[in-house]
Amino acid sequence: MATLTRQDLNFGQVVADILCEFLEVAIHLILYVREVYPSGIFQKRKKYNVPVQMSCHPELNQYIQDTLHCVKPLIEKNEAEKVVVVIMDKEHHAVERFVFEISQPPLLSISSETLLSHVEQLLRAVILKISVCDAVLDNNPPGCTFTVLVHTREAATRNMEKIQVIKDFPWIVADEQEVHMQGSRLIPLKTMTSDIVKMQLYVEERAQKTS
Amino acid sequence: DQKELSPSSGDQKVILLPCRSAPSRERVQIWLQAKKQFEQLQ
Repeated sequence: MATLTRQDLNFGQVVADILCEFLEVAIHLILYVREVYPSGIFQKRKKYNVPVQMSCHPELNQYIQDTLHCVKPLIEKNEAEKVVVVIMDKEHHAVERFVFEISQPPLLSISSETLLSHVEQLLRAVILKISVCDAVLDNNPPGCTFTVLVHTREAATRNMEKIQVIKDFPWIVADEQEVHMQGSRLIPLKTMTSDIVKMQLYVEERAQKTS
Repeated sequence: DQKELSPSSGDQKVILLPCRSAPSRERVQIWLQAKKQFEQLQ
């Protein structure tokens, strides 16, 4: 058993790679389960040794990849407190928010041979929870769309600057209607604790989804 | 009002989102119909 700091083995980059790969799968699955897009664009794939639904729409896939590409440097530096998938109605008001609350330990005690398989097991459990979350959520109104929010600190945004320019994918400060929901209920989905990352996933659902 | 992202020396919490929107359901639906028609022609 060895104790490593975040600087060792480019630890932050490893965690960011693992988390962004996971978030990509999770976003595709949320969009499928919550019927944001037609089911015909989704194909069954195997991730974390379980079947998941992934979009085959090139523009949507690129959008998700570009989004996560910009979030990655924040995760790498442990500066992304929350990544939130917001489903919005036709009036662009949030109806559901899938909140991934992320925290990373400053020090690590890892045994490398079991680490990755253990993390994979934990992420699999989160994916399975997302795949059945429609059972505890009300149907969304027709014509919903989505966006991704990242909770960070002002000083951390400079880590995103270069990538925003390279990818031509600028970010802005969220406004009230994307962030807050009136009369919402909170549904905890899954908490995972591993040596490299702790993650809590919950859904905030608006009480009255049809306006 | 939405503001442009302008990093400062402050360390306030901030919530960001992409300036661009994801493709709309209608746009994706049109693509899907075109894809199905193309596959039928093959």
